Amino acid sequence: MKKGRIKVMLGNEACVEAALLAGCRFYGGYPITPATEILEIMSRRLPLVDGLCLQMEDEIAAMVAVVGASWGGTKAMTATSGPGFCLMQEAIRLAVAVEAPCVIVNVQRGGPASGQSTSTAQGDFYQARYGSNGDYSLIVLCPSTAQEMFDHTIKAFNISERFRIPVIILSDEVVGHIREKVFIPDADQLTFVERKKPTVPMEDFVIFKPEENGVPLMPTFNTGYKSPVISQAKSQSGNRGNAKEAAENIHRLVSKIEDHMDEFAEVQVYGDEKAETAFVTFGSVCRAARSAVDMGRDKGLALRSIEVKTVWPFPDDLVRRALAGAKRIVVAEMNLGMLQREIERVIRQPEIKIELFSKIGGIYPQPQEFLRFLEEKR
Amino acid sequence: MNPLGEKYLRKDFLPFLFCPGCGDGMIVQAFLQAVDDLGCVDDLALTAGIGCSAWIGVYMHVDILKVLHGRAIPAAIGIKATNPSRKVVTFTGDGDCLAIGGNHLLHAARRNIDMTVVMVNNQIYAMTGGQVAPSTVVGSKTQTTPYGNIEKQLDGCKVAIAAGATMVSRWSTAQPKQLTRAFKKALNHKGFSFIEIMSQCPVQTGRYLLGSSSPQFNFQWLKDHCVKEEDPSKWAEIEAQGKIPVGDFLQIEQPEFMEEVARMNQRVKEAQAKGGDR
Amino acid sequence: MKDAEKIEIDRRYCKGCMLCKYICPSDVFEPGQTRSDLDYLMPRVANLENCRVCGLCEMHCPDMCMTVIAKKKRKEKK
Repeated sequence: MKKGRIKVMLGNEACVEAALLAGCRFYGGYPITPATEILEIMSRRLPLVDGLCLQMEDEIAAMVAVVGASWGGTKAMTATSGPGFCLMQEAIRLAVAVEAPCVIVNVQRGGPASGQSTSTAQGDFYQARYGSNGDYSLIVLCPSTAQEMFDHTIKAFNISERFRIPVIILSDEVVGHIREKVFIPDADQLTFVERKKPTVPMEDFVIFKPEENGVPLMPTFNTGYKSPVISQAKSQSGNRGNAKEAAENIHRLVSKIEDHMDEFAEVQVYGDEKAETAFVTFGSVCRAARSAVDMGRDKGLALRSIEVKTVWPFPDDLVRRALAGAKRIVVAEMNLGMLQREIERVIRQPEIKIELFSKIGGIYPQPQEFLRFLEEKR
Repeated sequence: MNPLGEKYLRKDFLPFLFCPGCGDGMIVQAFLQAVDDLGCVDDLALTAGIGCSAWIGVYMHVDILKVLHGRAIPAAIGIKATNPSRKVVTFTGDGDCLAIGGNHLLHAARRNIDMTVVMVNNQIYAMTGGQVAPSTVVGSKTQTTPYGNIEKQLDGCKVAIAAGATMVSRWSTAQPKQLTRAFKKALNHKGFSFIEIMSQCPVQTGRYLLGSSSPQFNFQWLKDHCVKEEDPSKWAEIEAQGKIPVGDFLQIEQPEFMEEVARMNQRVKEAQAKGGDR
Repeated sequence: MKDAEKIEIDRRYCKGCMLCKYICPSDVFEPGQTRSDLDYLMPRVANLENCRVCGLCEMHCPDMCMTVIAKKKRKEKK
């Protein structure tokens, strides 16, 4: 049993609480509903721990400042919603290219474009993974409760430092704005990961030469390493690379994460693990699905709900295992079918059609709608 | 390699990718001379965006973060914010700074953050082959204004002054001694310093707009067209002649952003310790 | 006023822009026939005895190739 305290707080507030515990001392942000609370709370809390919260002139500046702060030696983060997330894409992939640990929270809202600022949605599922140019990989976590906003933020900082990658917390308006109990462990009950730094003299250090796990050591600026960190395709020395070096670097950036998914991938199963009918969900929809499973059990229906907690890189094996034996699979999401495509890709059994329970327009699905869907679409 | 180069250049990245006679290499030397005179190489942290001038800092053996087109200034802010004792310098170009990066220039100047932005102005988008820039002279036939540029020029120094920069200078690569002096002044200035450098681009500006790609011709063009005039009331007259006023235009002391942040943090922490509000 | 011992032009990086010749007030350089490693025609030190070690060529070279080495002054015996 961990030692700590319980507090009732907004999902967005739980995110800040966790970030500060994890050691985040730079926040670059821009106001956008429904993520603004994160910026506002950071602006109140960071000065008290000698950190800096900067409301930048736009989301692009916010994300680039986060990358600068990361190379400056600090744990850094930003938060936004769909429209701002679009603006940040180039800068997120900059963080991938220069291997800068950082955390980005996207509290999804109705889209496209300005969409519905105060309504929930899950339309950024693919943007989180494929929103920018070129080949790369990164890690995306999906909280469904205020507690998970807390837990996933701690995890996000840790894996971003471990893999030197931007980690995206793909939240949504329901999770960001819900107010519920969060258990905050005491700091000594938590493990925090710090990026590994070089100790050899500068002459012996090659800036982008990886360690065994595919991740290079990261020197902080002004500690004697005179690091050339460029956004272009590069060789290990940091200079512009030729075709072979550029390709090798891209392979490494992808495999450093995808070869080590067992360190962070997470899928949970709720309900009857052997039930023939399974829901698959991510983010806030997990909660409605859980209630639907409970409601179904009361009616004598055996149901299970698969909750994908780390949606990218997509945990193919964990999902297949969680769905083993299912004869009817219903993906429930607040978009027109994105997680559905991944499930179709992963479960290639011709006799099973991957059904889609899609709810868009901004109203959160009710548990009884799940059961009605099962009934009507039989 | 001259002794200054031996001491400060990143040898394994040489030769400079700049074209023969390009002003960018001269800026490398003028800046390194300033750094050598001040002995501040270990405190330097550079940022750069995209374009020919963005490579200036890469050849120096210092920490550099070369980011996206137009975004060197926010990157510099992130680096400065995490350790205010760093001397942060951004090398950018007229396109990188005034077009895509214009918004960031305004707000960094407004905040008066202690950093230096060096905007190398060759009046064109050179790296991509000679397209019009916000600083291109009216009437110029560039790759994207084949019938003549009809847009007015944007003056980076005037923008910086209006936005709140506390040190603003413009010189040219034809005046390397003045450049080094301006760099030293900026590195020692506490606040946002903006140095615009008129620089020759023989291959794009020279060839397409001025009529010659000869390095000597383009160098001489700068000598002929850059006129020292530090009184703003006389600028219109000079500009009407098709010339460019250069000089040290502004240097004032104003509260610096990171110092104000530290002061605010202190005040807030003390208030909290006393149990009160800020 | 000094005399020059030697003017070194680094053939690894010279791009033949001839700004050294252009800026030199003492007519030290001429276009040469040797090509640098980058395949540009390099300047030639034609009149070393004219050099006053003003340093302008060194300061203006866009590739930092020029090194002007002054003759060491011999101390005059009294």
